[in-house]
Amino acid sequence: MSSPVETLNPLYNSEAGAGTLIEYALDPGYTWRPGSEYFPLAYDMTTDNGEVWVANVREGLQYGGDYGEVTAEDFVYQITQLHQSEWAGTVDAASWPSEVNVEATGDYEFQIELPNPNALYPETFDPYVYPIPMELMQPYVGNQDAQGLQQDTEILELQFTGNLGAYTLDQWNRSSGLSYSRNDDYYLKNAEGVPEVFTQAPYFDSLEVQVVQEEQSRLGALESGETDSAAVPPNRVSRFRNLESTDVYVIPQPYNEVCVYNMRDNGWTTGPGNLFRNKQFRQGLGCAVDKQRLVTGVFRDFADVEYTWQPRWSNWYPQNADVMQFGTGELYGSEATRSRIREAISDTDYSYNGETLQNPSGQPVELSLYHSAGQNTERSMAEFIAQEFGRNAGINVSVEAIDGAQFSQNYWQQQVPENTDQYEWSNGSYNAGPREVTSANAWDMTVVFGLNTYPLNPTTASVFFQRDSSYNPYGYYPSWNASELFERASNATNDQELQSVFAEIFRNIAEDQPMAMLAFPADTVGYAAGIEGPQENFFSGWDFPAWYRNE
Amino acid sequence: MGLGWYITRRVAWAFVVTFVIVSITWGLLAASPDPQVSQAATQAALQGGNPAEAQERARELRGLDAPLYQRYIDYVTGVYTLDWGWSQTRNQPVTEAILDALYYTIQYSIPWTVLVVLLGPLVGLYSSANQYSWKDHAATGFAFFGYAIPNFFFGIILLLIFGVQLGWIPVIYNTDVPVFSVANAIQLAMPVFVLVTGSIGAVMRVSRNESSEFMQADFVKTAKAKGVSQLRIYGRHVLRPTMVPLSTTIVGYLLFLFVGSSLLVEVVFSIPGLGRLLYRAIIAQDTSVVLGTTLFFTFVATVGNLIQDLVYTVLDPRINFDDR
Repeated sequence: MSSPVETLNPLYNSEAGAGTLIEYALDPGYTWRPGSEYFPLAYDMTTDNGEVWVANVREGLQYGGDYGEVTAEDFVYQITQLHQSEWAGTVDAASWPSEVNVEATGDYEFQIELPNPNALYPETFDPYVYPIPMELMQPYVGNQDAQGLQQDTEILELQFTGNLGAYTLDQWNRSSGLSYSRNDDYYLKNAEGVPEVFTQAPYFDSLEVQVVQEEQSRLGALESGETDSAAVPPNRVSRFRNLESTDVYVIPQPYNEVCVYNMRDNGWTTGPGNLFRNKQFRQGLGCAVDKQRLVTGVFRDFADVEYTWQPRWSNWYPQNADVMQFGTGELYGSEATRSRIREAISDTDYSYNGETLQNPSGQPVELSLYHSAGQNTERSMAEFIAQEFGRNAGINVSVEAIDGAQFSQNYWQQQVPENTDQYEWSNGSYNAGPREVTSANAWDMTVVFGLNTYPLNPTTASVFFQRDSSYNPYGYYPSWNASELFERASNATNDQELQSVFAEIFRNIAEDQPMAMLAFPADTVGYAAGIEGPQENFFSGWDFPAWYRNE
Repeated sequence: MGLGWYITRRVAWAFVVTFVIVSITWGLLAASPDPQVSQAATQAALQGGNPAEAQERARELRGLDAPLYQRYIDYVTGVYTLDWGWSQTRNQPVTEAILDALYYTIQYSIPWTVLVVLLGPLVGLYSSANQYSWKDHAATGFAFFGYAIPNFFFGIILLLIFGVQLGWIPVIYNTDVPVFSVANAIQLAMPVFVLVTGSIGAVMRVSRNESSEFMQADFVKTAKAKGVSQLRIYGRHVLRPTMVPLSTTIVGYLLFLFVGSSLLVEVVFSIPGLGRLLYRAIIAQDTSVVLGTTLFFTFVATVGNLIQDLVYTVLDPRINFDDR
C-alpha cells in the first residue's frame, strides 16, 4: 500500500483500500463473482417483488471471545440502532433511510422492506453489512456515544472476528502495516455451495500488508521478491511482464478519468458568463481531445476510451445504441471543435481572433486545470488536455498541481450557507445549493477526481446528474430529464426494461457532455509468479481466501 | 550562583517557552474550523436531517460548546498531563502515535547524529591539516557530493543497487526485527549513510575553515616549539577552539535536518518514523497529531539549545555563567 489506513472500524470506514484489509479478517454479507453473480457470504438475499428482501444468515458463523453465534438480530440491531439513528453518523447511514423497514423474522432470517421496489437492490451495496456482535454495540447505543463507538479497540482492531474471516488480524502498526495469520476455523471451508477450492482455504500461513509510500521502493520490493504483490504503473508494466519472477494483471475498474467543468458562479474565471453551462460549448470541448491518443500515450493502452457513464464490459453498456463518440473520428479535431464553439458563442461577445478564442475584452480565454500533485499519470493527462484545448479550441489552459485533500476542501466542496432555507435546495457541502452557492476558491476545470460508474447498478450514479442531488460540486443542470429516467430505472422490474432505460440514459449523458468523459484506466497489478487466483476482470479478488502459491 | 543556577533558570525558561507555544497553537486551532463538525453536517444533509442540529450535536460531542477559557484550561492541562488527544487519521491516542514513531526515528537518528558530530569535525581537521593537497580535495569533494546530491534521489539509487540488484539489504524496512540485531544494523546502514553524507558536508566545511585559522596561531606554534606531539596539537590546540563556533550552529542545523531530511529518508526506506507521522498529519489535517509533534520538536529544540550552551563551558573555560 502507498499510504496508511485511517480506521479498520467497519462502521466508520469509507475507503475501499481499508475495506479490503477489513475483509481479510471479516467477511461482509455478500460479494460478487465473475458474471455479476451474487455470492452469499454472511447472508443470502432473495426477493419476490423487489420490495421485500429476505436475508438468510448462514448458520455456524461464530464471533470470537464470548460473543457467540452470529444471528439475524445482530444485523437488525446494527441497522436500526446505528445506521438509522441520528447520533451515530456511521458511513452507511445514507443507505438506511428511515423509510426502509428492517426486522428480524427468525434467528437466522431478517427482512428489509423498501419504500419502492428495486430489482437491483443488492447491487446498490446498500444492504452490504458486516457482522458485529450486538453486545459490543449496546453500551454505546445506551449512551449515544458516537466517539466511543469509533474508538472502541475491539471493533477498531477487529478482535471479535472469530471464524468470520479467512485470516485473523494479529497486529496493526498504524504507519508500517498489518499482519494477519491463517484462520483454521474459517467458516467457508465447510460451507455448502461454494467452489471446491474453498475447502482447504486459506492457503497462506500469514499475510503481511506493508505501507511503502515511495513507488520505486514498492517496485524494488516486488522485483527482489520481498513482496508478492504491488501496483505497477503503466510505464513499468512491460518491464515487469518480462521478468521471470513476476506477472502483471490488467484489471478493469469502474472509475473513470473525467475533466470536470465548474458550472457554478466561481467557474469560468476568464470572462463574463460561464460558457461551460452551454451544452454546445461542452460538445465543442468534447471534440477537442483525442481520446484514443490519450489512452495510448498517457495510459500506455492500459485503459479503455470512455464515451458515456459506463465501461464497455458492463452488462448495462448499450452495445446497440447510438452513443455519440466525442473525441473520435468525425467528432474530433479543430473544425469539429470550433464549429460547435462558434455556434455556442454566437449570441455572446466572445469571438475567435484567428486561432485564439477571445473574451469580450479582447483578451485570450485562459482557463485553469487542476491535477493532484505528485500523480505523474494525472499530470500527463492534464498536460495533454491543455495541449489539445490550445490546438483545437484556441483556449489557453494553465495546468496547476494541488494536493487532493486541499482541492476537495477549498475548491470542490462548497461553503454551506448559513440560511439554507432561502435556497431551492442545499444538500451538504457537495451540493450546498444552486450555482450561486460556491466553494471558497474559484476554479475552472479539474482532473483531480475520478468518479465511479457503478457497473453493477448504474442507478447509483444518478447523484452525478441531478441538479439537486447530494453530489453536484460542478453545478451541472441536465438538459434531459435525468430524474425521471433514473426513477424509471429504479422502479424497473426486469432486465429488459432496465436495458432500455439505461440505453436512453447513457445516450443522453454522451450527448449532453456534463463533463469530458475521457478514459477508464485499468489497474495494473504485479504478482509474484506462481500466485494462483488473480484474474483480469473487475471481480478479481472475490475469492481471495482461495488464492494459493503454485510451488 | 554558578552553573547550577543557570541550568535551573534555563529549564524553567524552557517550560515558559513551551507554554507560550502551546497557547499560540491552541489559539490557532480554536480559530480554525473543525473538519469533523462540517462532516457531521454533510452527513445529516445527505440523510435529509437538519445540518445545523447535527453540527451542534457534533460540537457538543467534541466539547466545543464549552466556554473558551474552559477549553483552554482543559487543553493546557491535557498537554502537561500527557493527554494529547486522539488522532482522527490513525485512530489511536496522539502520545501513542508519537512514541511509536519515535521508537523508529531514534534507531537511525542516534547513530546519524553521533557519526556527524564525531566525523564532521575530524574530517574538517584532516582537510585543514592537509590543506590544498589531494587528500583535502578528496575530503572536500566527498563533503560537497553528499551536500549536493538530494537525499531522496541518493536513497533510491542506493536502494536499487544494494537492495534490488545485489540483494544485500532489504528494500522494505522490517519493523519486526529486534533493535540490537545484525538484521536491524543492515537495514539501517543505508538510511544512516545517506543522512550522514547529506549532513556531514556543512559541519566538515565549517570545521575545516575554523581549524585553518588556528593552524598558524601563536599558541599552536608555541606548542610545536615545545615539542608537543602532532596528535595532541590537533586534538587539544586546534580542534577544541574550532568546536566552539561549530557547536553554535550544529544543534540548529541538525534539528533542521531532523525534520526535513528524515522525512525524505523515511519515505524512501519506508521507516514509520516521526517525519512521516508529521507529514501525513499535516496533509490530512490531523490537528492533534500536528500539535503533538510540534510540542515534541519544541522540547527537543529547547533541550538541544541548553545542551549546546553547556558544551561551551566545557570547550572554552573562559565562558562562565556567573553573570547571566
